[in-house]
This record gives sequence, C-alpha cells and structure tokens, in this order.
Amino acid sequence: MATVVEKSTKERLLSALDDLEVLSRELIEMLALSRTQKLPQPGEDSQILELLVQRDREYQELMETARQQGEVHQEMEQLEKEVEKRDSDIQQLQKQLKEAEHILATAVYQAKEKLKSIDKARKGSISSEEIIKYAHRISASNAVCAPLNWVPGDPRRPYPTDLEMRSGMLGHMANLPTNGVNGHLPGDALAAGRLPDVLTPHYPWQSSDVSVGMLPPHHGNDFGLEPPGHNKENEDDVEAMSTDSSSSSSDSD
Amino acid sequence: METEEQARNRFQSELEFIQCLANPNYLNFLAQRGFLREKPFINYLKYLLYWKEPEYAKFLKYPHCLHMLELLQYEHFRKELVNAQCTKFIDEQQLLHWQHYSRKRTRLQQALAEQQPAQQQQQQLLPPQHGNATAK
Repeated sequence: MATVVEKSTKERLLSALDDLEVLSRELIEMLALSRTQKLPQPGEDSQILELLVQRDREYQELMETARQQGEVHQEMEQLEKEVEKRDSDIQQLQKQLKEAEHILATAVYQAKEKLKSIDKARKGSISSEEIIKYAHRISASNAVCAPLNWVPGDPRRPYPTDLEMRSGMLGHMANLPTNGVNGHLPGDALAAGRLPDVLTPHYPWQSSDVSVGMLPPHHGNDFGLEPPGHNKENEDDVEAMSTDSSSSSSDSD
Repeated sequence: METEEQARNRFQSELEFIQCLANPNYLNFLAQRGFLREKPFINYLKYLLYWKEPEYAKFLKYPHCLHMLELLQYEHFRKELVNAQCTKFIDEQQLLHWQHYSRKRTRLQQALAEQQPAQQQQQQLLPPQHGNATAK
C-alpha cells in the first residue's frame, strides 16, 4: 500500500513555477555578468537554457493535467446536483405515501365502525308493527299513561294493585294473609285473601293466552349459590333519592 | 328437569311477580319482611333481568317494573326500601310521572284551542283579496 501521498497538482504547478523563476533569474544574472566578464564556465548558459526549456515543458504538461482535472471536477458537481434532485424527489414521494397510508387507514377504520353499527342495528331490529301493537297494549290499559279523567282517589295505578296481585296465580299459590299492605282493598272476601275461583278476575297482565309456547330461561334451582359477578354498589345513583326523602332514621354511610 | 307444564307455570308466576315489583308498596312489604336481605332472593332478582330482552319484554303490561328491577340490583336501594317514607316518595313520583303525558296532552290541546280563534280571524281576511284578483 502506497503511503506516500502524491503531491497535488497545485503544489507541483507552484514548484514548477518556482524552478522556472530561479532558472530564469540565473540566466539573466549570467547574461548580465557576461557583459563584464567572459564566460567563467563555458556551456553553463546552454545548461541553464536546457533546464529552462525542460521546466517549461513540465509546466505545460501540468497545466494540461490541471485543465483535465477541472473538467472532471465540473462533471462531479453536475452529478452531485442530479443526486440531490433525485433525493428530494424520493423524500417527496415518501411524504405522499405516508399521507395516503394515513388517509386509507382512517377510511378503513371508519368503514369498520360503520359495519359494526350496521350489525348492531340489524341485531336489535324489531318489526314496527310489533312495536305499535305493544305500545297500544300498554297505553290502552293505562299502564304507562294516566287516564285523562284521573283524579286523586281513583284506584287505578301504573302498577298491579293488591286486588290484581292476589287474584293472580301467585296469589292463589301463596294464599297470602292480610297484614296491612298499603292499597285500596274493599270487601271482606278480599281481606281474607281468597277469592272463589268463579269470581277470579283474569287480568291481561297475567297474559296466559299471549304467552302460550313461551318459556322462561332455565336456571339451576338453587338461587342460594353465588352467581358470577356480584351486585353493583353504585352509591351516586341512588344517593339523590334518599337525600330527598326527608330525615328518616337511615344511617348514611 | 321440569316438564313443559311446570315451565309454563313458572313463566306465568315469574311474569306476575316481576310486574308486582312495579308497586312501591309491595317493595316496602318485601323489604320490611327482610326478603331483600336474603342472598338467594338477590340472586333471583339478578336472574329476573332476562325480562329486559325484547322477546320477553313484550309480555309486560306494566313496564315500570323493569326500571324498579334495575334499581333493585343496587344494595343501597334495597336498604332504603325499608322506610315507608321512601316508598311513599317513590309512589308519588311514579304517579306524577304517570300523569305527565296526559297533562302534556291537555296542555297541547289548550294551546291548540287558543290558536284556533286566531286562525279563523286570518281566514276571514284572506277571501276579499282573492275576490279582487279574480275580478281582474
């Protein structure tokens, strides 16, 4: 491996110029001396001349080399510019690709959300006729909207009254004793908690005709077992109500 | 396993029971006898949540019971139901809510009735103008 650093063209040119300068000075001195003295050393002037010519030739060659090197350098600069241009083009493309990817990702995500909501809506769809039928059923019986001529004292309520509760299947099953459950109970027969079967009013909320074929979900009969997940303890929700309902003896936690 | 007859009876009794929960007085009754403190009962209330599904809910005549059922899942609510004042308050609010729609309707009808005379006056003004146009 060559560890000798080549002298740069500039240095060589400068040294050649220096040589030329030295030689031409010597020659001129010799010529100046030869006016007064005869040649002390014959042939020296021709020697110097030869050296001068040689150095000049070298100088010319070096100039040619320098010119060529300049051309090469220019080409290099042009190529570098090209490379820069291509680089910026690539960066621009990169930016655009990134943007496009981002937009597409957003679009895909939103489309997926839309599909999800479509699925959800389809799952929960109920025929409008059924909804109207149900709405009619619950409003016609004044279960969700008070009758227009309702006054305090009217026994109708938005929930099954005592009378209705006792005359249902549960009432018959349990044969509940009367123990002052609030309500509007006229009559002794009802107070005794029993109604003759013939007189049993059949309220639509017991719906035996509608519910033919409908079965409740199965359950292991033992409700004493702990179900998965436990009861909610949402204090905030119910708090408002208890603060409204006066100063009773409930201990506030 | 239960027979279909038993299942049907169970369906009907559960249907009746859940609708009874719409009655705040009944809730007070249950609370005072300590049913709401028993773990099996609490689990049963959780099981009854199946009535919220549309295919079961369509049998409910008194939909207030579903809201009561949801509230009954919270222990604080169950504790409060022992107080008669609490259930009285619930009863009052329930009745007021029940009357809300009919009150709104009567108000609307009144407003409509008030608008009627004003509209009639406007109609009396219009015909003469039409008469002028056709005369030309």
